[in-house]
Amino acid sequence: METHTSQTVTRRVLVDLDRCIECGSCAAACSVSHAQVPAIHFARAGVALLPVVCRQCKAAPCVDTCPAEAMVCDDDGVVRRRLFRCVGCGSCVRACPFGVIPTRLSGTPVQSRSPDRLSGHQAAKCDLCHDRTAAGNGAEPRCVAACPSGALMFLDERTEEPLGAELLGGRTAGEHPFKRR
Amino acid sequence: MGGRGLCPRGGALGELLCHRSRIVAPGLRRDGALHLAVMSSAVGAIVDAAGEGLTVLLDGNLPAEQIAAAAGWQDRWAQLKVCLVLPPAEEQLLLGVEASGVDYLSSADLASCDGFVIVGDAFAANPMCSRGVFDRRRAEPRTPIVVIDPAVGSAAKFASHRVAVAPGMELAALASVAASADVATGAVLSGEPAPSEAGAAIAQCRRLGVILAAEHGRGAAWRQIGYLAGRLAAAKGGGVAVQTTGANALAAVRLGVRYGTVCLAEAMANDSDAKLVIGCDLAGMLGMLNLRVLGAAAALPNATTAGATIVLPVAMPGEYAGTYLLDGGSRVWVRPVMPPPAGVPTADDLIGALALAAGVRPEPVERRDSDLDRVDVPAPPPVEPPRPPRGPMLLLGRRADQAGEGALTAHAAWQAAVQPVPELRIAPADAEAAGIENFSIVTVRAANRAVKAAVKMTPELPPGVMVLPEGFPQARALLGARVDDSIGAVAASPAAVEVSA
Repeated sequence: METHTSQTVTRRVLVDLDRCIECGSCAAACSVSHAQVPAIHFARAGVALLPVVCRQCKAAPCVDTCPAEAMVCDDDGVVRRRLFRCVGCGSCVRACPFGVIPTRLSGTPVQSRSPDRLSGHQAAKCDLCHDRTAAGNGAEPRCVAACPSGALMFLDERTEEPLGAELLGGRTAGEHPFKRR
Repeated sequence: MGGRGLCPRGGALGELLCHRSRIVAPGLRRDGALHLAVMSSAVGAIVDAAGEGLTVLLDGNLPAEQIAAAAGWQDRWAQLKVCLVLPPAEEQLLLGVEASGVDYLSSADLASCDGFVIVGDAFAANPMCSRGVFDRRRAEPRTPIVVIDPAVGSAAKFASHRVAVAPGMELAALASVAASADVATGAVLSGEPAPSEAGAAIAQCRRLGVILAAEHGRGAAWRQIGYLAGRLAAAKGGGVAVQTTGANALAAVRLGVRYGTVCLAEAMANDSDAKLVIGCDLAGMLGMLNLRVLGAAAALPNATTAGATIVLPVAMPGEYAGTYLLDGGSRVWVRPVMPPPAGVPTADDLIGALALAAGVRPEPVERRDSDLDRVDVPAPPPVEPPRPPRGPMLLLGRRADQAGEGALTAHAAWQAAVQPVPELRIAPADAEAAGIENFSIVTVRAANRAVKAAVKMTPELPPGVMVLPEGFPQARALLGARVDDSIGAVAASPAAVEVSA
């Protein structure tokens, strides 16, 4: 597995800010499947607390900065963390320009909560629920499947029509749902 | 699963079914400690201790078949009384809606409404109901969304019209909205309500969706609120969507009326009967942390089992099949995910074992499909408009990731991780006046009780309102539930509160 590939993911998780009711269903579903450490980060925007997920960058700074080569781009372009290589140095956390690799949960460092003592990893990393989505068949990551209000969507940027400002409710603007990524 | 989504409460079910604290054998309390016992001796001990009478306080959110079987034993065992336990506010609200005769709406039906009135934090009570509201708003961005919630929960953030309402004044606020929309309010509230701008916004609606979530600790007028909401929705060609904590509350209300079970207020006032609580956390729900009962049957330890002399195991949701009245009153047959652990009975089996131990002869229970049909309930009497509260008042607010009093969800790893201590939402002005800082741990005092909470300054909250999550029995204890003689039901009201660093 290479640290970088020429592939980029084509289906991404998109958040419709006008639909998120902050119920935490996405993080709960992620937590169940990622050893009780959710890979979803919550960002405060004014009075709102919004889920932010990894954007699966093509040239991912977290991959470049990882000294243990634990962060890799797999053959499908998904940025993943190899558990047994991670030394918990936190380089990826600092390198991420979007701040989506969480380090704390309710004020407590995620590392101390992690049941994965062997690797002592710093935080969960969104892998787009590769175990579900790699097979195709329209499967969605668990956070999207669990979202009750329809705020989280798993869209293919090659085939989806540009939904523009209506989709995003005008809050994040943009002619195309992926423009701000 | 609910619709297309994984229910945030159901997400924890798999973890709870095999929880390490699962109660799988009876226990008898001696000298303050529980000692393991066999089922026959535990059942015999309850029958012996019951003597003249036994009141079974049964979880109202069980499948209809189990409720019918329990009520069937009540007919044959003279000493037995069955009480179906629902959150008191929800039970009153549903009775009011039933009395109004309005149609129920499912979450999917909401997308066809052209305006919404939301009472309480319905989006937190059932996040699925938000999808229909958002689908409608996407099709028509100017759809009026009127929200009446003094705790300013998640639904209030999406309001086009947020009605300013003091704690416990929801009925007055709803009456103002209804009056402005030309709906008579005299049947439920004395006096003339003030006109409301929000009411004018829904006046032109042709299909109004009224979404209701009965909040614990917001006064005693929920029956009137349900009735008025039903009248308002019917007048505007729409319907009501009631979001309840449990899955089968509507069935419990209908079956309770039809089978003649005793109400919670009557059961609590009856000191002569021994009490056996099955499947629900009565002490946690009412905030009566010192409640002492003869027996408690539960899947996981809770505040009620802590005060019970005899603790019994019982099956939990996911381990039994049965009929539920779900979204919009439709009947759904739910299959079990897995069988209960060996030797763990369902609630109706447990009552049957008690009856047999008391020498009652079993007979087949006749249950008709029509038992789940709408019941005739009288309209609630009008009430006086309550006085606006003075000083800081404590409310309980819902969280989508906790169900009810948190008896089950408190055992789930995710829920325990995200909120290890209750979060006190407070207006910045109140925090400044009390000299407390954001994220600090403070002591909240009310009704001679105190609870530690983490401060979360919330600018959208009006001054004078503080909110604790309802999923903590210690927080519920601050409000002090009581039997309200004016309505003959259990109720809790917002409490005057002190906060100190």
